[in-house]
Amino acid sequence: MTLAAGSNPNTLAERVSRLNWGIITVMVALALIGVLMHFSVSSGAWTDMPLTHGIRFAVVMMMVLIAATILDPRFWLAIAYPLYAGALLLLILVEVAGETRMGATRWLALGPVSLQPSEFMKIGIVLALARYYHQLDPRRTGALLSILPPFLMIIAPVALIMHQPDLGTALLIVFAGIAVMFLAGLSWWIVGGGVVLGAAGAFFAYNYVLHGYQRDRVNVFLGLADDPLGAGYHVLQSKIAIGSAGLFGRGYLQGTQSQLDFLPEKHTDFIFTMIVEEFGLLGGALVLGLFTALMALAVQVALRARSLFGKLAAAGVAATLACYVFINTAMVIGLVPVVGIPLPMISFGGTAMLTIMVGFAIVLSIDLHRDQHGTRGILW
Amino acid sequence: MPKRDVSAIFNRRAALMSFVGAGVMGAILVRMGQLQATNLFSREYSAAADDNRFDTRIIAPPRGIIYDRFGTVLAQTSRDYQVAVVQQDVEDLEEVVGRVGQILGLSAEWARRAVIRVRGGSRYEPQPLQEGLTWDEFNRINVRLPELTGIVAHAADVRAYPYRTVYAHPIGYVQKPTQRDVERALEDPAQGESRAMYLRNPMVRVGKAGLEAGLEQTLHGEAGWRKVVVNARGVEQGEDENERRPPVRGSGVVLTIDHELQRVAMENFGADQSGAAVVMDIYTGDLLVMASAPGFDPNLFVNGIAREPFRVLNEDEKKPLFNKGVTGVYAPGSTFKMIVGIAAKQAGVEDTWAVSCSGGYFFGGRTFHCWRAGGHGRMNLHDAIKHSCDVYFYQAALRAGPERIAAVARQFGLGEHFDLGVPNVRDGLIPDPTWWRENRNEGWTGGLTLNYGIGQGAMGVTPLQLAVMSARLGNNGHAVAPRLVREAPGVTDPPQPVHMSGIASEHLARVRDGMFGVCNEPGGTGMRAGNLELVRHPETGVAVPLTPENRAWAPVQIAGKTGTAQVRALGANRGRHFSTIEWRFRDNALFCCFGPWHEPRYACAVVVEHGGAGSAVAGPIARAIMRETLLRDPARRAPARLASLESTTRSRA
Repeated sequence: MTLAAGSNPNTLAERVSRLNWGIITVMVALALIGVLMHFSVSSGAWTDMPLTHGIRFAVVMMMVLIAATILDPRFWLAIAYPLYAGALLLLILVEVAGETRMGATRWLALGPVSLQPSEFMKIGIVLALARYYHQLDPRRTGALLSILPPFLMIIAPVALIMHQPDLGTALLIVFAGIAVMFLAGLSWWIVGGGVVLGAAGAFFAYNYVLHGYQRDRVNVFLGLADDPLGAGYHVLQSKIAIGSAGLFGRGYLQGTQSQLDFLPEKHTDFIFTMIVEEFGLLGGALVLGLFTALMALAVQVALRARSLFGKLAAAGVAATLACYVFINTAMVIGLVPVVGIPLPMISFGGTAMLTIMVGFAIVLSIDLHRDQHGTRGILW
Repeated sequence: MPKRDVSAIFNRRAALMSFVGAGVMGAILVRMGQLQATNLFSREYSAAADDNRFDTRIIAPPRGIIYDRFGTVLAQTSRDYQVAVVQQDVEDLEEVVGRVGQILGLSAEWARRAVIRVRGGSRYEPQPLQEGLTWDEFNRINVRLPELTGIVAHAADVRAYPYRTVYAHPIGYVQKPTQRDVERALEDPAQGESRAMYLRNPMVRVGKAGLEAGLEQTLHGEAGWRKVVVNARGVEQGEDENERRPPVRGSGVVLTIDHELQRVAMENFGADQSGAAVVMDIYTGDLLVMASAPGFDPNLFVNGIAREPFRVLNEDEKKPLFNKGVTGVYAPGSTFKMIVGIAAKQAGVEDTWAVSCSGGYFFGGRTFHCWRAGGHGRMNLHDAIKHSCDVYFYQAALRAGPERIAAVARQFGLGEHFDLGVPNVRDGLIPDPTWWRENRNEGWTGGLTLNYGIGQGAMGVTPLQLAVMSARLGNNGHAVAPRLVREAPGVTDPPQPVHMSGIASEHLARVRDGMFGVCNEPGGTGMRAGNLELVRHPETGVAVPLTPENRAWAPVQIAGKTGTAQVRALGANRGRHFSTIEWRFRDNALFCCFGPWHEPRYACAVVVEHGGAGSAVAGPIARAIMRETLLRDPARRAPARLASLESTTRSRA
């Protein structure tokens, strides 16, 4: 099945004017909050950090707008499998010749640039699954045999990523992949079976797959171990910051836990804590609200899109974003173990921002071409 | 199979997932609200946040000042310029310490040791690298500070002993607390964590010797503290000035010492002499001099003495680190003869009783020699003391018996414990037949009694005890006790000394006459010490140096006794020339006295280790000290009051 053009905008000006400016506005708002927080992380100085964050966002946003305007969903459908295959190949390369930093082999050095192939996979899995179900005969969606390919598509990269080890990214890919499968119409029987299998898998993973430090974090989280200076320290300090912040927070640049460095990783994984400490519960709610709005807008795009590929890809991106936000915020308040997932658009560091923004470039493009619908045939 | 409407399924499930997602976001919010609600009631997170950022930093209190009896400052706190390092701020400790060493012109060895020392200390608080910088060195460091990250230059209050060697022994010194001090404080429930925290402060010093150790509680004062804001690495970010509590200076202490006399006493010991001198007020017990030679500079210890200088001090055979006035235990030798004389009088020996000294006394199958080979001829008590005739006292001891002698010796303070407030005061030993049976597992023999008669054998006394003995002889048998601290919190004036029971003035008078003879009559063994060349004003009684104009005035005189005590088996040095005997085997020279004769007020004891004859070595030192004491007559001058001294200190500060 390929995509046929519906009543889609043809001129460039028309396309720009019909871009989903709501999505763009929310993304800009989130990135600006990021700049604001990195200014605070730098103790109120225009250091490299807030500037880099802002410039990085501006550059990527430009590319996103250009990509969303000139590339239509057919392009993304076309590269879904090659992208997935390439990302998988790179993951294998990491396994063979990866760069090890801080005990984890996640990076590939390509000349001066080092990249994390696991990030490509976050988009790759969504697109590949969307394409798979887009091209699958709807009558076979529920069949057991047709579940095998997407299952393998998820398992292969997840196994490689777990081995790096990068529990957070692996979880994220699993969740996003299952979300796409579920939305595509996976039978409830299989969903139920999957939950049972998942529980068994978690038990198996805890005992045989997780690394020592990961197991420590899970233990501390489950209350099986008490280690306020080790794995539990991050969460303890984070809870202190959030618990003592109050409704309105301690004030911008005034967070004692953050400004005095008691809160570790405040510029990356624990930036949400810093937001709450300085702007209070209300500040945290605002940020969560912005993310929820962004997801809702993506879901709206998915609901409006006529093609299944468009629906699944947009929803997959929304699910990926939801996983990011949920895992990160739940982690900093001690609801889930610390797995090292940043808060997209706000945490310092380009990869999470890039992944989510590439995802939204696809969402914007799907929205622009929402009237394209699926027709039978071999590509276009 | 019916065609499934994929779009409819998608829309239903997307809606379901949206609900789930919204619920999850809500759960996050609820959880945050729950954390804050918990905190609203328990304040646990607020308290934890405050606990994180606030830290209490100790401010070391200035130590109490030590004054002599007239208010001269003997130990004080003075500004000390220091360079220190904060490890946390340093990237390469070796490199930066090396550069500080270069600026100050110190060796690579210094830098190596400094690095080892600093590594053992706090990472966040300044660790001193070098103390006692000159103003010039301090400035050189200050100029270069911008390029020396982690190095700080500051001024601190540090203990200083302006008279250096003069008070090394009575006052002692302070040092940095050791790890053991900290551990001991932690084990002691009365001290605990706060004291340990105080001891860990790099500015804090504790008394380690002399009165500094003995009066630690009085002198150290009360630590202050600052409430500071720290970051996660403990680096100070600011201070809550409202919460600052300033330290309280330790209380001052006024000693009984007269600085002028102490200085004269120390100066009168030769550079290669080892010994002690004690001067005491025979009525109040005030120790005017507590000197021990050789001295050392206690300032070396304040900031930590280097290994090599310490080894030299510690291994010196003249034992400069010992306060010989209270820790040196010596056979009293002939200075013991007054005790024997009194005991003999008590035993009924008549003044007319005399023995004939032919240079030796045959007893128990062997001859006990007199120090004078040719003998003294006929000797009564007076002459026997004056000439220090051994043969007389052999027989006097036999008549008095060892028990009686020991009892009198103890009454006069020999073997008695005196608490001066300094550590390591030794009690000496007056053995008697009972002690002998219990500790030596053998019976007392007559030979031992003979040795007893001339102050030899197992007995040992300290120079302080000799001074007390002389004082009690001089004050007509009153049990005066020595003291070193005149005024300090908790120190009360001593009671009037009481007359010692069983000591008859008449017996004392005979012995004192003998002592007068020692110093003032032809043939007296202490004539060299006795000739003070002082006279007293006919009306005021004030002592002045003898001049051709005042020859007619009455002389100021002292009464004393020489002693030359063997340190190895009796007679081992006999017949050998003094200079051929190894230093540590030479006789100890002793001299004790009181004066002025017409109205006794001061007692003095001098011991020179391995100095040879008491008359030739200890006597002249005692003469110099006594002469100065009688000229100054410190007992007649008004002593300083601690309250007024402290108020002037405060107004200066």
